[in-house]
Amino acid sequence: MSEQTAQETAGAAGADDAAPAGLEDARENDVRENSAEELLTEDAVEVARTERAEKLTTQPKADDAIAVPSLGVLGMLRWTWRQLTSMRIALVLLFMLSLAAIPGSLLPQREINPTQVVTFYTDHTKWAPILNDLQLFDVFESVWFGAIYCLLFISLIGCIVPRSWAHFKMMRSAPPAAPRNLKRLPVHASFTTTAESEEVLKLAAKRLKSRRFKTVRGTDRSGGWVSSEKGYLRETGNLVFHLSLIGILVGVAMGHFWGFKGAVLVTEGSGFSDTVTSYDSLTLGPGVSPPDLPNFSLVLNKFAATYQESGDQFAQPRTFDAYVSFKATPASAAKSMDLEVNSPITVNGTNIFLEGHGYSPVVEVKDGKGRVLYDGSVVFLGQDEYFDSSGAIKAPAYTSGGTDLGFQGWFLPTAYVTSGAMPASVFPAAQNPMLILSAYAGNLNMNGGEDQSVYSLDTTDMKQLSVKTKGESSAAGNALELKVGQTATLPNGDGSITFVGVKQWIQLNIAYDPGQKVVLPAAILAVLGLIGSLGIRRRRIWVRVSEQADGTRLVEVAGLARTEGATPTTDVTQTAQALAAAVRQPESVPDGASA
Amino acid sequence: MSINETYAHYSNLFIALSLVVYAVAFFAYCAEWAFGTSSRFGKNVEAVGAEKAKSGMIGRQAAAPVVEAVNATDGGNGVTVLTRSIAEDEEPTVSGGNLRAEIMGRFAVMASFIAFALHFAGVLCRGLAAHRVPWANMYEFSCAAALAMSFAYLVLLGLRKKVRWMGLPVTAIVLLTLGIAYTVLYTDAEELVPALNSYWLYIHVTAAVLSTGAFGVATVATILYLLKSYNEEGSLPRLSSTLSRLPSSVALDRTAYRVIAFIFPLWTFAIMAGAIWAEKAWGRYWGWDPKETWSFIVWVIYAAYLHARATHGWKGKAAAYIALLAFACVLFNYFGVNTLLTGKHSYAGL
Repeated sequence: MSEQTAQETAGAAGADDAAPAGLEDARENDVRENSAEELLTEDAVEVARTERAEKLTTQPKADDAIAVPSLGVLGMLRWTWRQLTSMRIALVLLFMLSLAAIPGSLLPQREINPTQVVTFYTDHTKWAPILNDLQLFDVFESVWFGAIYCLLFISLIGCIVPRSWAHFKMMRSAPPAAPRNLKRLPVHASFTTTAESEEVLKLAAKRLKSRRFKTVRGTDRSGGWVSSEKGYLRETGNLVFHLSLIGILVGVAMGHFWGFKGAVLVTEGSGFSDTVTSYDSLTLGPGVSPPDLPNFSLVLNKFAATYQESGDQFAQPRTFDAYVSFKATPASAAKSMDLEVNSPITVNGTNIFLEGHGYSPVVEVKDGKGRVLYDGSVVFLGQDEYFDSSGAIKAPAYTSGGTDLGFQGWFLPTAYVTSGAMPASVFPAAQNPMLILSAYAGNLNMNGGEDQSVYSLDTTDMKQLSVKTKGESSAAGNALELKVGQTATLPNGDGSITFVGVKQWIQLNIAYDPGQKVVLPAAILAVLGLIGSLGIRRRRIWVRVSEQADGTRLVEVAGLARTEGATPTTDVTQTAQALAAAVRQPESVPDGASA
Repeated sequence: MSINETYAHYSNLFIALSLVVYAVAFFAYCAEWAFGTSSRFGKNVEAVGAEKAKSGMIGRQAAAPVVEAVNATDGGNGVTVLTRSIAEDEEPTVSGGNLRAEIMGRFAVMASFIAFALHFAGVLCRGLAAHRVPWANMYEFSCAAALAMSFAYLVLLGLRKKVRWMGLPVTAIVLLTLGIAYTVLYTDAEELVPALNSYWLYIHVTAAVLSTGAFGVATVATILYLLKSYNEEGSLPRLSSTLSRLPSSVALDRTAYRVIAFIFPLWTFAIMAGAIWAEKAWGRYWGWDPKETWSFIVWVIYAAYLHARATHGWKGKAAAYIALLAFACVLFNYFGVNTLLTGKHSYAGL
C-alpha cells in the first residue's frame, strides 16, 4: 500500500525525468525539509516504511505505469527506455536468459562437440535442419541469446548509472533529520536525565561517530537531535557488483577479439610447431593475424598413462604424463618438460593444455608388388572408457591410377577374444593390442577436392575384399585380426598389411585469451560487491533530547533498518545504555543538576 | 598414494551409524510434532489472519507482518526499550508448551548433534582413506552436501535461533540424501582421476558442497513459508493446527531469504573458482559445458529471486516460487547433469 502511495506521489511530482534512484533521494529531501519545517504532524513510521520499502527495491520503479501512452516518437522512446530499465523487465530477461541456456545443455553444440552435431544430423534427418535454422546448435553464439543478454545489460546500465550518481550524491549529503515522534519507530529506547541537552547530544554524536555512523546534529521545536546512518557500503557493493558484470562482459569480448584457440593431435615421436597450417583446428579472433602466433615448437617423446586396475572404479585413469621437448622460440634450446592435466605450459601468455589422448597403431601397407604404400602411425579415436578405438588407414596407390588400398575398423588396446562375441577391449592400457580391419581396394577419392575425414573411408568407389581367414573369431565378420608383428596378405595379390606397433597420441589445446586480465579482477570485484550488497546492514539511528515538564530531560534513541530485517535493536539499546551510564558519571553531571 | 583400507572401512561404518542416529532424530522430531499442541499465541495469529483474510485485508502479498506487537522491556541502567514487530520469543514453537513434546524435541536435537558428529567422522575418514578432500564423486559429494545441510541447521540452532521447526524436514532430507548415497551412489574410496588432481578441487567443490547444503535448508524454509502463508490467508484449513506451530510466514520468509542472501555470494564464488580451474585445466574459463550451463542457470534464477524479493508485485509468494524453481535447477544440475548429460564434469563414479 504505502509503496504505491509513494509512487503515485512521485509520479505526480515527477514531471522531471525522475530517474527512479533519484526518487529515493527526492523523498529523503522531502523528509528532511518537512521535519525541519515542522509541517509533519504525520506518521514517522509510515514515512519510514515507505523509505524502507523503497530501499528494498534495487531497481527503477516506474513499473506501475504500464499504460501505453500516446506520446509520439520521443514519448514512445522514453516509454520503451523506462520499460527496459524497469525491474519487471529485468526479471523477465533474467528468466529468458536461463531458459535460453537450457537447449545449449541438452542439444549438441558445434562450439563444444562438433562431431556430436554431425551424429545428430544423421540420426534426426528431419529435425536437424530445423533446429539448425533456429541456431540451436550454436545457442551461445545465436542471435536470440545475444539479444537477451544485450537487452539485459542495457537494462542494467540504464539502471546502474543513474543509481551510481544518486548514491554518490547521497554519500556526500548528511543523513535526514530526526523524525519528531521517535516512539513510532520499530525500536526505541529512552531514559530521563538531569544532564544538559548539549552534553547528551555531544556524547551521542561522539559515540555514533566512533562507530562509523555518519552523523549530523540539529535542533527543532522539540529540542536537539542527532541523526546518523551507517552501511552505505551496501549500496556501494550493489553498484560495484553490477558494474563488475559489465567488466566481465567487456573482458569476454576482448578475449574473443584478441584471443585465439586451437587444437592439434600429436603422436609420440612427432612434433608440432606453432604455425597456422600445423593446427587441426584454429580459431583466430578478428584482432589476431597469423604472424601474431607465438612460434614455439614441441616434440612428444612419450605419453604415459596409468589406470585403476581393480575395484569399483576399474579402468578409471589415474595419471597422465606427456613428456615433451619444448622450444619456446626456434632459437632457444629444447627443454624436457612433463605436461600434465591441470598444469599447462605457458609461453608469453599462451597456454598449452593436455586435453585428450588415444592410440595410433603403426602399420605398413604394401601393394601386390611389394612396394610400400604407407608406413607410419594412424590416429584412431577412442570411443569408450576401454579405448575401443575406431579409425581408417588410407594407402594411395604407388602410381596414380593404380589401385588404392583402404582399411577401416577398430584398434583394441587390451583385446579380449572369445568365440561368438565381437572382440572388445577390456582395459584402456595397451596390454594386448589388436587391430580388426575390413579391407578395401579401389579408389579412395582422395583427390576429389572435398575434405575427407581422416577417421573414415569413402568406400563408394571401393570394393570390400574377402579377408576372412581360418582361426579367427567368427563374430568379427569379414575382417582381419592382427596382433603386433603380424602381417596379413590380401587376396588376389592386392598386397599386405603389417601391424608394426603401437604409439599414443595426445590432443593439445593451445589458447590465448587476453580478456582474462579483465575478467578475473572484474569477477573478484563482483563477488566482493555481492558480499557487501547482501551482507552489510544499512540502518539509521536517531537521538533526541527534549525538555520535560518536571525540568528533567527525556533522551530517546530510535533506530530504523533500511534493509530488511536489520532492525538495529542492539545498536539502539546499547547506545541508550551507554549514554545513560555516561551522563550519570559524577564529573559529567552539571553543577546545577539535582535529581 | 594408496588407499588406506582401514579408514575407508571406518568411513562406511560411521556413515551407516549416522544414518541410524539420523533416523532416531527423525522419529523424535515426529514425536515432538505429534505430542505438541498449538500454542495460544499461534491460535491468536491464526484468528487474526483468518479475520484479515475474510475482510480482504491481506492481499496476494503477505509481506507485511500479520501481528505487530509493542514490547516494552527494561534495558538496564534505567533505560526502557520499546520494540515493535514480532520478537522471536513470541513465535510459536513446535511443542507449543507441551512437556512431552518439549522433551522429545530436545532429545531430537541431541540426536541430531550425535548423528552430525558420526556423519562428520564418516566424511573425515573417507578423506583420510583417500588422502584428499572427500568429495570427488557423487557418493562423496552427496555425503558432504548432506553434512553441510545438517551443519547449516545446527549452526542456526547454535546461534540461538529458534529453528527447531526445521529439524523434521532437514533431518528427513539428510536421511534421504545419505540413504540414496549409501545404497545407489556408493563407490569405493579411490584415488583421483587426473582431471580432478588440483588444489582447486578443495576450493571449488567445497564452495559448491556448502552452497548446495545451504540452498537445501533455504528450500525447506521456503516450502514451509508457502504453506504457512496460504494457511494464513485461509486456505489449507486441515493443516491449520499443524502450521500454527510454525513461526509466522514473515519469519519463515525471512529465514529463507537470509540463508539465500548469505550463501549466494559463496555460490558465485564456487562458479568463479570453477572457471579459474577450468581455465587451468582445459584452457578456457567458460565453455558452456552442461555443468557450467546449469550452474549459470541456477545462479541467474537465484539472482532473479533476490531481485524479485525487492520488486513490488513479486515479493512474497511469487519470489518463493522462484526460489523453489532455483532449487529444482540445483537438483537437476546435480543428478540430471551428472547422469543424463555428457560433459566434462563426468566424475559421478557410477
